[in-house]
Amino acid sequence: MVDWRKQRADRDARIAAGRAHSDGRSGGKVVAAASVVDLLEAVLKPGDRVCLEGDNQKQADCLARGLSACDPAKIHDLHMVQSGIVLPEHLDVFEQGIAKRLDYSYSGPQGGRIAKMLYGGQIELGAVHTYLELFARYFVDLTPNVALIAGVSADRDGNLYTGPNTEDTPTVVEATAFKNGVVIAQVNEIVEKVPRVDIPGDRVDFVVEADRPFYVEPLFTRDPAAMTETQILMAMMAIKGIYAEYGIRRLNHGIGFGTAAIELLLPTYGERLGLKGKIATHWALNPHPTLIPAIESGWVEQVHCFGSEVGMDRYIRERPDVFFTGADGSLRSNRAFCQTAGLYACDMFIGATLQIDLMGHSSTITTNRVAGFGGAPNMGSDPHGRRHPSDTWMKAGREAQITGDPALMRGRKLVVQLVETFGDKLVPTFVERLDALELAKKIGLELAPVMIYGDDVTHIVTEEGIANLLLCRDADEREQAIRGVAGYTEVGRGRDKAKVEELRSRGIVRRPEDLGIEPLDADRSLLAARSIKDLAHWSGGLYEPPARFRNW
Amino acid sequence: MALPDPNAVSWYEATARQRLSAFLDAGTFVEFLGPAERRMSPHLPLFDLPRAFDDGIVTGRGTLDGKPVLIAAQEGRFMGGAFGEVHGGKLVGLLRAALDVKPDAVLILLDTGGVRLQEANAGETAIAETMRAIVDARAAGVPVIGLIGGRSGCYGGGGLIAGTCSRLAVSESGRISVSGPEVIETNKGAEEFDSRDRALVWRTMGGKHRRLIGGADAYVDDSVSAFRAAALDLIGHAPAFDLATLDAEQARLESRLVRFGDCRDATEIWARLGVNDPDAIPSMTTAAFAETVAGVTEASHDAR
Repeated sequence: MVDWRKQRADRDARIAAGRAHSDGRSGGKVVAAASVVDLLEAVLKPGDRVCLEGDNQKQADCLARGLSACDPAKIHDLHMVQSGIVLPEHLDVFEQGIAKRLDYSYSGPQGGRIAKMLYGGQIELGAVHTYLELFARYFVDLTPNVALIAGVSADRDGNLYTGPNTEDTPTVVEATAFKNGVVIAQVNEIVEKVPRVDIPGDRVDFVVEADRPFYVEPLFTRDPAAMTETQILMAMMAIKGIYAEYGIRRLNHGIGFGTAAIELLLPTYGERLGLKGKIATHWALNPHPTLIPAIESGWVEQVHCFGSEVGMDRYIRERPDVFFTGADGSLRSNRAFCQTAGLYACDMFIGATLQIDLMGHSSTITTNRVAGFGGAPNMGSDPHGRRHPSDTWMKAGREAQITGDPALMRGRKLVVQLVETFGDKLVPTFVERLDALELAKKIGLELAPVMIYGDDVTHIVTEEGIANLLLCRDADEREQAIRGVAGYTEVGRGRDKAKVEELRSRGIVRRPEDLGIEPLDADRSLLAARSIKDLAHWSGGLYEPPARFRNW
Repeated sequence: MALPDPNAVSWYEATARQRLSAFLDAGTFVEFLGPAERRMSPHLPLFDLPRAFDDGIVTGRGTLDGKPVLIAAQEGRFMGGAFGEVHGGKLVGLLRAALDVKPDAVLILLDTGGVRLQEANAGETAIAETMRAIVDARAAGVPVIGLIGGRSGCYGGGGLIAGTCSRLAVSESGRISVSGPEVIETNKGAEEFDSRDRALVWRTMGGKHRRLIGGADAYVDDSVSAFRAAALDLIGHAPAFDLATLDAEQARLESRLVRFGDCRDATEIWARLGVNDPDAIPSMTTAAFAETVAGVTEASHDAR
C-alpha cells in the first residue's frame, strides 16, 4: 500500500518538535527570540530546502542570525533557495557547513564575497535566477521544506501583517505552506489584533518575536543633490526622443540616477513639452521619493510596487488613489505580481547597466563581483507571451519588422539602456567583451550572467545621443549604432564615421541637436526638486527621509 | 508646506561665479588674476589631475549696495574648494591688498573641504598666511565677513579661517567644522560619530547649530539675496578688533567647554541653551528659527 502522506506526516512531526520550544500559550505558535536556535534545530533537517526570506529590501535578519548560530553537527547540507544574498549571515551559513547548495537571484552588497566563495568551492551553485524564475521554481522543483519569513506584526494565531514591505512573503508562504512545508515568521511585535491580515494564520506555524525590527535597506532613494547635468541631458533626450515619440504611458524605471532625473523632469521639462497625461501615467515601480513631484503635479494615475521604501509610508498612506493600499491604509506591495506587471503590462523598461558590448548585451557583473539579476531581466525583456496591443507596443513592432506578413505583425516592448559612456571612476561602459564572460569561465558557470540580451534592447541613450536598435537592419548597422553613441570610449572611437552619419540621416542615431535639445539647457534648475528636503516639501511633510539622506 | 522660490538663485546650487555675479551690484565685479591669465596649480600635473584656469577661487573687487568691497569666492566643485598654492596665494594677496585699498569690507565666500592633499605643505602655509592676513586687515579696521552655504561646507583650514573672520553668515546647508565627519569617524570610530547619519552631521556642524551657539552671527535662507542682505547687515556690525574682544572670546570659549563639554548630542546643548523643543530645531523654518535664536543669549557673542 502506497503511503501518500509521508510529507504530511513529516511536516506534522517537525511542528510537534518545534512546539516544545514555544511559550506554550494558545496553540503554541509563539516562540521567544531567545529560543530561535532551539526552534530551528528542532524543525530543520539536514539536506532541507530552506527559503530564508531576504530580497533587495527587507530581511528576516533575526532568523538569519538564528540559522547561522545552529550547530552544524545537527543542521548541515541545507539547500538555500532565496531571492537575496544580502546579509553576512546568508554566506556565513555556507562557511560553517550549515548550508551547501544555493539557488538565488540577487546579491548586491555580498557580490564580492559570493564570487570568492563560488571560486573557492564553498558554495555549490544551482543557478542565478531572476526573481520571477526563482518564484516559479518554488512551485515546480525548488519548493522549500521550511520558509523563514519576516513580518511587521502577528497575533497569537499567527495571522501576519507584513505591512508596506510585503514583497516576496505571499509567494514564499504559498509555495511552502501548501506543499507540506513549515513556515516560521519573525515579527517586530506580537499584537492582539493585526492591522490587516496579509498572511492568514493557518499558513504560519511559528511566530518569533524578534529582538529588533527587521532591517530594510533604503535602496530606491536617489538624492537629487547628486544629479549631474549630464544625467539631466540624458533624461531630456529620453523624454523627448522616446517617451514622447512612442507615447509611453505604462512603464517601469530602474533605480539609477538617470531614471530618477527623468522622474524629476516630468513636472518641469515634460510639462513644457505638453506631455502631461500623455506619458508616464501607469507604473510598476517601487515608491521612489523622486516620483513625488510628478505625483503631486498630477502626472501619475497609479503605481503598483514590488516593495516599499524607507520613509515613504506616511506619504503613500495619504495617496491611496495612486498606490495600492490595504483597508488599514498602508501600502500593499507584492514582488511577484509587480514583476509580472512589469513583464506583461508595461510597454517600456528603462534602466542603467555597467557594461554594454557591441551587440548590445549588457551586464552589471565585473570580474570580481556576482551581483545577481534581481528583476531587471524580467523588466528588460520582450515577453513573447504578450497578446494585448497598445499604440506604443505596436509602433515599436512596426519599426522592428520589415519582412513577413503585416497581418501577423506583433508589437515589441521597449527596452532602453540609459548609460553614461564612462561610469564611476571613468570606467568605460562600452566594451568589446563583457567581463561577465570572463567570470563565467573562472567560476565555471554554464550560462554567462548576461543581464539583458542584445536582442531585447531597443534603444541605448547616452550623453552623445540615442541609438534606435529597432531600426537597424543587420549586425553591422547595430554595431555602428552602438559605437555611434559610445562617446570617447575605445568602442566609440572605433566607429566608422561615414556609416554613423548615414545612420544619423536615417534617424537610427540621433544627437541632442537632432532632437532640438540644446545641451547647455541641461541645468539643475530643471529638476523639480534639487534636494531631499525639496522632496519632503513637495510631499507636504509626509515623506520622512532616513537620517543618512537628511541635509538638515 | 511652501516650496522654495524657484526663481531665487540658490547659493548651494550656484557656482562661485554665479554667486558673485548675483551677489554684487550688477556689473561692478572686476576680477584679479582671472582664468585668462592661466595661473594654475604647478603641482596637480604631477598627479595627473586636471587643473582649473582659476585654481578654484575667484578674486576681485566690486560694490555692494554702493560700498566698495574686495571679494573672494571658492569653487566647491573644483577639488572640493580645497586650498592649494595658487588658490591660497590669490586669497592672501586679496587680503593683503585690503591694507592699501581700505575697502568697506573683505568678503570671503567660503566653500572648502580644507587643504588639497596633493599640495599639502603649500596649502597649510596658505591657511596660516590667510589667517595672518585676516588679522592684519581687521587690525587695520577692515571687517572680514565669511559667507558659508556651499556644497563643500567649510572644513579643515577653512574652519580655522572662519574662526578668524569678524562676522559669519551661514545657511542651513552650510557646515562649519575643522575635522569633517569622515575624518572623525576614521579616527574615533562609527560609534563615536557615524558620518553616514547626515542628520547627526547637520546637528553637529550645520548652520543652525553654529548660529545657536554663537559660532555664526547670521542664519539665512539658501538664496543669494538672503546672503547679500546678511552681508550688508554684518558689515555694519563688525566687532572692534582689540585686546578686550579677544579676551572676551577666550573667556566665552572656556565657559562653553565647561557648560557643554559633557553633552553627547547637539540637542542636549540646545536644551541647556534654553531651547524648549530641541528636537524641533532641524525642521524649523527660517522665521521660526529666528524667533528661537532671539531667545538664546549665547547666539549673540563673538566666540566661534
